[in-house]
Parts: sequence; structure tokens; C-alpha cells
Amino acid sequence: MITEREIIATLEMLKNENLDVRTVTLGISLFDCASDDVDRFISNVQKKMNRLASNLVEVCDEVGLRYDIPVVNKRIAVSPIAVAACGFSAEGMCKIAAALDEIASKLKIDFIGGFSALVEKGFTKGDHALIEAIPDALAQTARVCSSINVASTHAGINMDAVALMGKTIKRTAERTADRDGIGCAKLVVFANIPQDVPFMAGAYLGVGEPDAVINVGVSGPGVVRNAIDRARAANPKLDLGMLSETIKRTAFKVTRIGEMIGRQVANKLHIPFGVADLSLAPTPNVGDSVGEIFQSLGLKSIGNPGSTAVLAMLNDAVKKGGVFASSYVGGLSGAFIPVSEDLNIAEAARTGQLTIEKLEAMTSVCSVGLDMVAIPGDTSAETIAGIIADEMAIGVINSKATAARLIPVPGKKAGDKASFGGLLGEATIINIPNDGGSAGFISLGGRIPAPIQSFKN
Amino acid sequence: MKKIVVFVLGPDQPGIIAAVSKALFEQNCNLEDVSQTILQSAFVAIIIASMQDSQTEKEVLAALEQKTKPLGLFVHLRPMHAHIVHEQPASESFVITTIGPDRAGLVAGITEILAQYKVNITNLKAVFRGDPDPLHNIMYYEVDIPSSQDHRILRDALFERAHQLGLDITIQHREIFEQIHRI
Repeated sequence: MITEREIIATLEMLKNENLDVRTVTLGISLFDCASDDVDRFISNVQKKMNRLASNLVEVCDEVGLRYDIPVVNKRIAVSPIAVAACGFSAEGMCKIAAALDEIASKLKIDFIGGFSALVEKGFTKGDHALIEAIPDALAQTARVCSSINVASTHAGINMDAVALMGKTIKRTAERTADRDGIGCAKLVVFANIPQDVPFMAGAYLGVGEPDAVINVGVSGPGVVRNAIDRARAANPKLDLGMLSETIKRTAFKVTRIGEMIGRQVANKLHIPFGVADLSLAPTPNVGDSVGEIFQSLGLKSIGNPGSTAVLAMLNDAVKKGGVFASSYVGGLSGAFIPVSEDLNIAEAARTGQLTIEKLEAMTSVCSVGLDMVAIPGDTSAETIAGIIADEMAIGVINSKATAARLIPVPGKKAGDKASFGGLLGEATIINIPNDGGSAGFISLGGRIPAPIQSFKN
Repeated sequence: MKKIVVFVLGPDQPGIIAAVSKALFEQNCNLEDVSQTILQSAFVAIIIASMQDSQTEKEVLAALEQKTKPLGLFVHLRPMHAHIVHEQPASESFVITTIGPDRAGLVAGITEILAQYKVNITNLKAVFRGDPDPLHNIMYYEVDIPSSQDHRILRDALFERAHQLGLDITIQHREIFEQIHRI
């Protein structure tokens, strides 16, 4: 028999705290679609995706109904296109991006990730072609997401790639200047990119992954915030150790739901289940905010001194709860701080409580990095590369994933508002000081060697 | 050996189960299943016991009444017919929860639909506290839904009825509660 308390606790998570399965992401390997002819490659991709994903949306909705927990996004992650389509030119890569977008649209998929390259140690011909194609590819498509891994703890930081991505981000923003540079919202630069991330824009199917796999991303910042508020209301004397325990227990519950739904979808599609990724990923809705958690833990605003400590505790407690709940935890698993996607964080950036420097400090303990940060449109490619290099260094030295999703909003300056719509939200453009001082460093190029902690053999 | 079902109803107080079980013990009855619950101040228990063929139900009931009368309890006893069993077809367990202001006919309204779709209720609890907190006006039904039943059709019918009754309804597979709350 189920108890009244169990039922009410579950209902509260669902009805009042925005608990949902943020995404079921179907990974599909495209390596067996390889061809020397781009049209044949596209045809092979279409056939394979239709075969594996034709009822993904239907099955996710059916499973969601069974538990009355919505699966908000249905996504596909494919093998890195720079590898699967290595032989093609930038023009060919654009054609592939357009085809992926069309397939995603027909399958009613929200996003398709994997327009990606792994260049931490150097470039192949396909990597160059793909990166060259990014501005046009992201301007002409709505659903395609791109990720470029430019650094890893084992390889160091490919500074040539960092410099190139600075320029690519600028070009991508310019190609979508009429929409506040939205192309850049679908482009992320990574260090130590996990192979099984279900969240966008970083989702792709790693080369060590199976032919097809279901990964699931669960969110729930509102659930965590409410659990903290309830615990503090019930016992005002709770200290941070006890509150960390509350977060951990909540993360456990949320992860269990994600894994259960992921496994059901996987079973019905006859595709193996991969991982559950519990990440506190906010949306621009009231009550679905990571920033509000900082306030529940006693800070006036995210960005105030103490924020890095709060985020470190939050990220760690989420990981601990998740790892206990599922043997197959993967992806990013932690807390996201995407500025435009979180009303509370966007507001802190607007009022100046949260600066780019504090954001960067916080990314040393969060699960991703500088995410959805709108910066002035005239920020130079070298300054953007400098910000990326700093972010990559944090990931490489700390053996963790870090990323930069920066949007230099064309024609707008610090303090102006940029709007990306839907889940991507809107944000006040954050001030970037000392623009112009990074060019000499970035022009040196080469590869920053792997740190000593990578030599564990 | 034969089986009996005993119902006990009355104002809740210490000593009810002690009195009933002692009476049954003294009549050489063996308790097989016992369930009791308290709603506000009302106590109710249902007991299945086995008894000797040589004894009559009348004797056992008399013994029970003698022990429970001082406590102001009503006792009822009847033979249990094991062969009369409802056979629910292959089913899956769901939990239906409704939240909303109290009014007459809520349980009747929801259960009419459940009966229509051959859904068997295995546990029902309704709590109406007249509280402004909606979670304090709640009904939950643990039910077995035949596997052959199209989930969407039943769901639509229940949602329509709940809407007419001013209730917010949720239908969830039982597994979710076990996954979240139990290790």
C-alpha cells in the first residue's frame, strides 16, 4: 500500500515544482552511413534515422502519460559529423546540416545534436570543413546544434582551435544578426566533452557508444528549491550539512524518475538504455530557476560572495544523490547556470550582482560553464577566444567538463537586452572589460600541454 | 475447518483488538488476516478467521458480542465463501489522485467511470479537511486497470468526469511511487 505522504510528496513535485523529464535523447551512430558521395551519405542517414526514430515522440508521450510526467523534449544526438562525414567540404557539411534539420522536423524532434568536431589535439580535413560550415549551417537551420571539443585533460588545450572558435562565434552571430545572434545559442565550445550528454547544445554520440542508445536528462531546480524551503521552514536551525543532505535526497528521487522513464522508452524502442543525467537545468519560467536556490540558501542574489561555495555544495550534493539513485549516471550531472535561460540569473546579471568574472569563478565548480552569456556585439574574436581559453583551462586542470556558449549580440552593447525566444530565454548583455588585451596571447597559437595530473598510467 | 469474516465498528479506544482477539481465541478461532483503520473517531476492523467445524457461527458471535458490548462496538459475523472470488483480468496497478473542493458526489462520480471500464479499486482514501490548502482535500484510489484497456480512452473519460466535478486528477503507474520513495 502506498502512503498518503508518498502520494502527496510526488504530486507536489509534479504540480507545484515543475518536475519533468527535460529530454529523452536518442543517440544514433552514423558511422555505417559513410559514403564518398554527400547525397548518398544523406540518404543513408535519412534511412537510418527513420528506422530508429520514427516513433520516438509517440513512445515518449505514451510513457510520459503512464506516469503523468511530461517528457518535454525529444532529441537526437548523432556521431560527430566531422568524423562521420570527414571527406566532405564545408559546402557538403552545410548540406548535411540542412538534411539533419529536415529529418528532425519530419520526426517532430526538438533538437538534433552532433554537428560536432573533436579537435583537442589537432584538426582533420573534416574538422576544418565542419567548423568552416558552422555559421551558415546554424543560420539556415532551426534544430541543429553544434559542439566543438577544443581541450581535454589528456591532450591539453588546442589554442589554434580556441582562436578559430573565437572567429567562428563572431561569424555565426553575424549570420544571425537579425535574431540577436541566435546561431551562437546552438554552438558550444567544450573541454572534456562527455560522450553521452543528453542536453543541448552539447549532445552528440561519442565514438565509443553503441549503434543506438537512449540517454535521459532530468531536471528539477524547482523541486530542489522547494525541498530546501520546506526543510528550513520545518527546522530553522538546519545548517549547510543538513541542507546538503536534503538536496542529495531530492536529487535521488528525481534521478529515479528519469531512469525509470528512460528505461521504459528504451524497452519500447528496443534500444539499450545508456545513462541518466540529472542536471539542474533551469527554464525561463517562474519556479524553475537555479538562481532561486542560491536565495533559498541565504544569499540575496546569485553572484554575491558565497555563490561559488553554494554552487560547489549544490553540484556535489546533486551528483551524490544521482549516483546513489542510478548505476548509470552520465552526461554532465550537476547544476547549470545558463544566464538567459534562468529568470533569476538573468536578473542578477542585469542588476550587476553577477559579473562575467564571478560567473567564470562559479564555473570552476558547476557542471558546465559559461552558458548562454550574451556579450556586446563588438567584442573581438580574440577576446572571445581569451574567455574560451580561460574556461577550457578550468576544465582541463580540474578534470571536468567545461564549456562556453557565448553570444556576441550584433549591434548591441552592455546593458541592452537580447531575446532568443522559448527555452533560450532573454538576457541583459553583460559587460566584458579589457576588450583588446588578449590578442597577443591568442595569436601565439599552438597547444597548451596536458597538465601533470593527466599522467595517471 | 471453515472460515468466517468478522466486522467490528465503533468509537475508537484502546483495547478493541485485544477484546476481539481474546474472544476469538477462546472460541478456538485462528486469525488469518486482520486489517483495521480509523477515520476521524470511528474504528473499523475486518478479520478473517478459521474456526472448528464443530462450532457454530452463532456461538462465536455471542462470545464476541459479550466482550465488545462494554466498549460500545457493533460486531457482525458471516461465513466466508472462498469460491466466490472476483477474477480481475491481467491488470496493472495505477494510483488515481484527485484534488479539489469537497462537494457531494465526488466519489460516486469518479467510481462510476472506474466501474464502467472494469477498473478494480484495491484501496481508497478520501480526506476532506475543508482546508484552503488543496492538498488537504484529496482522494486517492489504488486501482488495477485491465491491461487490455486503452490507457488514453480511460484517461480521457476520467479527465472529463473530473473536470465536471471541479477536480484536478492525476493517473500514475504505481511504480513511480516505489521508485521515488523506496530504496
